[in-house]
Amino acid sequence: MARILDIGCGRGKYPGAIGVDMSPASQADVLCDWTKTLPFGDSTFDGVRMIHIIEEVDDIFRMLAEAHRVAKNGAIVTIVTPHYTDHASYCSPAHRWHLSSFSFWFFSDKPAQYDYYAPANYREKRVRVELLRIWRALGFQFLVNRARWFRKFWEYYMSFVIRGKTVQWELEVVK
Amino acid sequence: MPRILDVGCGPAKYPGSIGLDMNPATAADVIAHLDKGFLPFRDNSFDELRGEHVIEHVADIIATMEEFHRVTRSGGKIYLVTPHYTDFSSFRDPTHRWHLNTYSFIYFYPGGMHGRDMWYTKVRMKEVKLHVKLLKMWKALGFEFLVNHSRFFRQFWEHYLSFLIRGKLMEFTFEVIK
Repeated sequence: MARILDIGCGRGKYPGAIGVDMSPASQADVLCDWTKTLPFGDSTFDGVRMIHIIEEVDDIFRMLAEAHRVAKNGAIVTIVTPHYTDHASYCSPAHRWHLSSFSFWFFSDKPAQYDYYAPANYREKRVRVELLRIWRALGFQFLVNRARWFRKFWEYYMSFVIRGKTVQWELEVVK
Repeated sequence: MPRILDVGCGPAKYPGSIGLDMNPATAADVIAHLDKGFLPFRDNSFDELRGEHVIEHVADIIATMEEFHRVTRSGGKIYLVTPHYTDFSSFRDPTHRWHLNTYSFIYFYPGGMHGRDMWYTKVRMKEVKLHVKLLKMWKALGFEFLVNHSRFFRQFWEHYLSFLIRGKLMEFTFEVIK
C-alpha cells in the first residue's frame, strides 16, 4: 500500500494517509510543528499532500525541501492553495503568502542561481486552476487549464475580473 | 567616480558598482543577508544605492530602508525597482512578502502624504522621480503615459482603474535627506 503523508491534515485527513498537524483537535497521527522539520526518515513516503497550508508557513522553500526529503524519488507532492485573486486568500490573517498559478514554475526549468533559494528538485507535472462557478460555467476554467499561454494571458490581464479560486499542483520529486 | 552599491545584485551587477547579495552564486562582491542585521559599510559610504527587485523580499521594509539611508550620503540617491501589486509578477515568486503601490514609501517623505510627517521612522528621503510601467497593451493605449504624466491621474488610476488597467513595475528614485 502506498504510504501517503498528509501535512496539516486537520479534520479531513486524506483516506489511508498518515496525518501530521499541530492541533490535538485534528485527526493527526503525529502532533508536531511541521513548519520546521518533519519527524520522518528520508525517502519514506510515496506521496505528500499539503492542502491549504503552504500559504501559512514561514518559509515555503524550507517546507518544500522537507517534503522533498521525506518523499521517495518520483513521489508526487500535491499542493492546493488559494489563488491570489480569490477572497479566500485574504480571509485568514494567518495567510502570509498570496500565490499564483506560476508560483512554482521555475522548478521545471531552474536557473543555476536558484539552487541557493530552493535546493530541492521537483518537476512541475500538473497545474490546475479552479475558477468561481460562474466563470467555470462560461468555459473560462476549461480555457485556463487547456493552454499554458492562455493561463499566462489570464494571469496578466484578466484575473482580477475573471477571478481564480484555488490552484492545485502536482510536483514530482526528483532525487 | 560615483560610489554605487547594488543591493541584491544577482548575476547581473550594475556596471561599476559594488555588488551585495546573500547568494554566493551571483556577481556579488560582498555576501550579506539584509534580514540579519546591518549592511557591512560605514555611514555615508555611497553616492547611490540601487535595489532592483529586492524590497518586496525583505522581512522589515522600514528597518531595511533605514539601513539604506544610513550607508548613502546626504543628497545621495536610492533607486528601487519593485512590482506594482496589481502585476502578476508580484504573486509569481513565493518569496515576495509585500505587495506595494506607488504610495508605499510615504512614511519616509517629509510631510508624509497629506502634509503631516509620519512617525514610524525618523529617516527622511524625498521622492525625486517615479516611473510606473504598465503592461504592453495598456502602454500601447496610452495609459502608461497618462499615469506618469500627472499626479492626479496616477491617484485616480490607483483608486479606480488599477485592477483593470494593471500595473507592472515601479521605479522610484529617492534623494537622501540627513
